Amino acid sequence: MAWYDSDSWATAAFAPHLSTIVITLLVAVVLPILLHQFVYKRATPTTLPSFLLLGPSGAGKTAFLTLTERRAVAAAPTHTSTSPLTIQALLPDSFTPESAHFRSPGDPAYERARRFLLVDTPGHGKLRHFATGQLVNPTHVCGIVFVVDAASVAEEAGLNEAAEYLHDVLLSLQKRYTNAKTSKGPREIPVLVAANKLDLFTALPPHLVKIALEKAVSDVRKSRAKGLKDSGVAMGGEDDGVDEEREWLGGGGEGPFEFRQMDEVGTSVVVKGGNVLGGDGADVRGWLEWIAEQL
Amino acid sequence: MLDTFEILTTSGVVLWSRTYAPIGPNIINSLIRDVFIEERIPPQSEDTGQKPTYRKEGYTLKWTTAKDLGLIFVAVYQSLVHLTWIDKLLDNVRALFTGLFGEELRKEHSSLVDCDKFGPYFDRQIQELERTSDGSASAPNVKLTPPSSSNDSAGEEPPLLPALQKPQRPLYDTSADSTPVPTPDTSRPTTPAQSHLVTAKARPGGKLSRRDRKKATAVSSAPASSGDEASTKRKASGKSAAKKNRTWGEFGAEEDDPSMVLDYSQADARDSTSETETLEEIKPETWGRKTGKGQFVLKDLDEEMDAIIAGQNAERQSSVGSSGIVGSSLGAIGGLFRNVVGGKTLTKEDLAKPLRGMEEHLLKKNVAREAAVRLCEGVERDLVGLKTGSFTTIESTIRTSMEKALTKILTPTSSLDLLREIQTVNSSGRPYVLSIVGVNGVGKSTNLSKIAFFLLQNHHRVLIAAADTFRSGAVEQLRVHVKNLKELSKREGGEVDIFEKGYGKDAANIAADAVTFASKNSFNVVLIDTAGRRHNDQRLMSSLEKFGKLANPDKILMVGEALVGSDSVAQARNFNNSFGPGRGLDGFVISKCDTVGDMVGTLVSMVHATGIPVVFLGVGQHYADLRGLNVGSVCRLLMS
Ligand SMILES: Nc1nc2c(ncn2[C@@H]2O[C@H](COP(=O)(O)OP(=O)(O)OP(=O)(O)O)[C@@H](O)[C@H]2O)c(=O)[nH]1
Ligand SMILES: [Mg+2]
Repeated sequence: MAWYDSDSWATAAFAPHLSTIVITLLVAVVLPILLHQFVYKRATPTTLPSFLLLGPSGAGKTAFLTLTERRAVAAAPTHTSTSPLTIQALLPDSFTPESAHFRSPGDPAYERARRFLLVDTPGHGKLRHFATGQLVNPTHVCGIVFVVDAASVAEEAGLNEAAEYLHDVLLSLQKRYTNAKTSKGPREIPVLVAANKLDLFTALPPHLVKIALEKAVSDVRKSRAKGLKDSGVAMGGEDDGVDEEREWLGGGGEGPFEFRQMDEVGTSVVVKGGNVLGGDGADVRGWLEWIAEQL
Repeated sequence: MLDTFEILTTSGVVLWSRTYAPIGPNIINSLIRDVFIEERIPPQSEDTGQKPTYRKEGYTLKWTTAKDLGLIFVAVYQSLVHLTWIDKLLDNVRALFTGLFGEELRKEHSSLVDCDKFGPYFDRQIQELERTSDGSASAPNVKLTPPSSSNDSAGEEPPLLPALQKPQRPLYDTSADSTPVPTPDTSRPTTPAQSHLVTAKARPGGKLSRRDRKKATAVSSAPASSGDEASTKRKASGKSAAKKNRTWGEFGAEEDDPSMVLDYSQADARDSTSETETLEEIKPETWGRKTGKGQFVLKDLDEEMDAIIAGQNAERQSSVGSSGIVGSSLGAIGGLFRNVVGGKTLTKEDLAKPLRGMEEHLLKKNVAREAAVRLCEGVERDLVGLKTGSFTTIESTIRTSMEKALTKILTPTSSLDLLREIQTVNSSGRPYVLSIVGVNGVGKSTNLSKIAFFLLQNHHRVLIAAADTFRSGAVEQLRVHVKNLKELSKREGGEVDIFEKGYGKDAANIAADAVTFASKNSFNVVLIDTAGRRHNDQRLMSSLEKFGKLANPDKILMVGEALVGSDSVAQARNFNNSFGPGRGLDGFVISKCDTVGDMVGTLVSMVHATGIPVVFLGVGQHYADLRGLNVGSVCRLLMS
């Protein structure tokens, strides 16, 4: 039966049959609806934007989280965390989310835009896998708050620990960018280095924290470059190729590292000071402003 | 006496705390670090009936956990005092707290739990436990049953009463308080009977019931509502009117003025009693009235508490031994179903079989039996009482948990950057000293040369000290290595030499001499090779202590063979303990990793026995065959 026969499918499709009309109508009505739903679903995020709290142990991540959740009231006392914690927080009234600048405060979308998730992770060396696990596939992460203790950064050991952790975080962000398949690159994930505990007498001011961290991260990068390859390799045999290609943080690994170099790989790094506790109350305005900018 | 009691979540937020004498936050932090994270103190199983203890800076800490809710209950007291009732307190508080706030705690995306009203429950518990342990005339479990006539009025009361916050309790009396010191006898459970009579008369509907009389003669548990208490109460409330809200200080909940500990508890209680009343509105009369009714409310609280505790205990019981004859078949089907779909509460029995499978699997990977058993026990401890997630089987839950445990064990606490350490030590003007120990024939000299090669590549000036003065041929072997390295270092940069004194001399002295020689001749790294020794050879092992003292290495690495099986645990432990108190190994070098395929269990055994990280892996015959440890891939190998 050829396609031009009177009862072939092509003839039927163009003939004024009732069934043809019904099918056509159905397609004409249902398709836009489906399309709309699909697009709409994609456009409005079903989950809230989340911010990851990273940083060495004792930096004040959990303290900041409780402060944000309790809003204005003092932070709860905290101890070393052993498990991650996610809370839903609302931006205080004095901050306006970037995406909601032109909305009126009564708008429900305005309210929705103020809401975000804050994900606290344990900072102890043995428990960083919670944090690194989040970094592997950061779908909803729209910012990273790396909390450091500005007082402990003044000492060698504290500085090195913070710098090593920060180096690893930045490197995995860079890898995410360079390994991306699309030419546009993945969505940017900005990093805020929150220099905490500025209420303490021994704390370094934020600009010095920045300088100290940049220098220490360069050192880490240098010693990583010289260090031994990681293994796993040669034991299982098959994963030999994994670390064939090692990546260096920042432009090719030459010269001193600066946070500015991270802009090229879609990660802006800013340092802001603050304190979660302290005699004259908490001061985390700078950090919340930053969060508001990302929302 | 009890110094502090805290209820905190595993995520580190203190939900509720009661401080009698402030302690630094570092005490509980180090409990968390040493016990929960690094597992330095082997966690005792709670089955033994005794709660585990942890000592730090003169304090004793006891704790218990509610795993499904992620809660930790910690009691801190001075090691000097002996408190027998802490175990019971922990159990009761756990039951109460989970019973009262379980729902709130399960809320997602929130760490806020309003548990201000927990104060009176806690105080009541302490009171009762102290009384029972006092061993005085009191019967162990005097029930407070007030006259039924006033039950109705009691029902309207919020479940607490000011009388509970007895300011004159000795617990609070740690500081010199401004409150006029009440007569000491009111603070004891052995309150004179007559004071109770006074209260009884003062009570509304003040008939003295039979029960009341009985209570008055038996030594009542409720020191509440005594005559002189009413006066103190009034004073206290007068003061409290000027009180501010509670502030969260560094040590938990505490008032601005630490000397006002007494009032702190009242403020706490008041917050919850009268949510509608603001602080200023509380008048002495109100207090008095409430005090008058105190006992009835107290009874309510007691009953409620008993009910909650009983309920929680029953729940625990049922979850432990749920298998009854009744409806067993139905239960079995449901259990099977849940096993597939998830959402099953795990019991010991459920876990037993898959865990045995997991243990076998680990043994096959050459993990020593001791380590495998302990790992499985840890996983069991983690999982019993938990619900499996949706669509996860028990097996996969165990797998994930085991993977986590392995990652945690193998990940070092702080980074192991040798080059950076050398830099730091050198900048203080002395050479960095690294020494290597181990049993015979594991490849000490070979791995030492590999490390030397690595350092040469980084342009260090390395001195190799031949402190193996025991085995013939050892010095010659090192000499060959050094010759090869010199050859190589021409290309790589850096400089290497050997320090030798022949055989038969004392190794510790040679090592010390080598260090002096190095600092004179501007070598910046000294690598000391030592004689291999059996870890159960007392004589040779004891010489290590002197070696450690004289040579005082910055780092002592032990070389262990990947091939060695169950012996690895004993090896690691004995070497770790051989340097005397205050000094141990700093890391392991696992040699011959290339020969074992995926049976890398030795790594786990050694780390598990000592808590000391693996620094290097030897993966071949060449000088360049030295690697750092990649925790992820080792875990993958172990679980495959
Ligand atoms: N002086 C001062 N102390 C602070 C500040 N922020 C936090 N702290 C204290 O620092 C300690 C550690 O804070 P946490 O929030 O528990 O630290 P963390 O970053 O969550 O640490 P981990 O959970 O171990 O990763 C707590 O005792 C806080 O009270 C601050 O701004 N100033
Ligand atoms: Mg924390």
